[in-house]
Amino acid sequence: MFDKSKVGQSFAPFSIEVERAKIRELALAIGDTNPIYHSREAAQAAGHKDIPLYPTGPTLFNFWGNRYGGSNLSSVGINVMRILHGEEEYEYLAPIYAGDTITGTTIILDGKNRQGKDGSSMDIVTTETRYTNQNNQPVLTARTTIVVRE
Amino acid sequence: MTQTETQTPKVRYADEVQVGDKLPKLVKSPVTLNQLVRYSGASGDFNPLHTDPKVGEMIGTGGVIAHGMLVMGFVGQLVSEYVGPAALRKFNVRFKGMTHLDDIITCTGFVTEKTEVEGETRISGKVQATDQNGDLKVAGTFTAALPKR
Repeated sequence: MFDKSKVGQSFAPFSIEVERAKIRELALAIGDTNPIYHSREAAQAAGHKDIPLYPTGPTLFNFWGNRYGGSNLSSVGINVMRILHGEEEYEYLAPIYAGDTITGTTIILDGKNRQGKDGSSMDIVTTETRYTNQNNQPVLTARTTIVVRE
Repeated sequence: MTQTETQTPKVRYADEVQVGDKLPKLVKSPVTLNQLVRYSGASGDFNPLHTDPKVGEMIGTGGVIAHGMLVMGFVGQLVSEYVGPAALRKFNVRFKGMTHLDDIITCTGFVTEKTEVEGETRISGKVQATDQNGDLKVAGTFTAALPKR
């Protein structure tokens, strides 16, 4: 059962460079052929400084940048093998482009336990990661809610 | 890969959008194992339940299931095509159901609100993704700031 005293706990910051090829790869996998995600020239022609981050591009920061994301969750008692993704939310505070370096700091925002009538038990835990860019400007807040079935 | 021809979104101006407007529907190609492998490599989410049918059978999901974030990505494409990526201020989804191979995902949405905030025109809308049987996969909302002419 989730230990409520872990709410508010923060983890060590992590950094990642936003790469053109990774944005392009993500758009290709999704099947989005919009040229602004594939070519700097097309992005600039559309008024962007460089290739813009894909709307769901913050997932790149989480999986490629946050190397200790899994062990952070384990350290607060979450069984990472039993995680289901419940909800994902992004607040885009300023544009993020290829070439930016992003630093994120994650906290446990909320957590609770739900007991089912059948005796089952699940934890619902929300993390929040606040991202800044190389100029220390806040650019993004990401909130992820996971459901952990026990 | 999409069934509709993708075009560079033009700038969408505030006066072009009214409450109740529908986002142009996005129908995706059937989900393939190749796509899930590709998405794993792109996103860095290498959880084998998305790529290894044996793991899917073992945990009782009936074969591999798509990454929830892939389906959120489909909805992201819907929103990006409507307002452009620079206009997006907020985007959230709740994951409602598992997506399997060969599922054909359709993304739809409509505008629920149009307000002036700090000199910007912001629109909000509801979005969702369903499969060929109408089963809901994700449901969410977005907010975007649209330029004035």
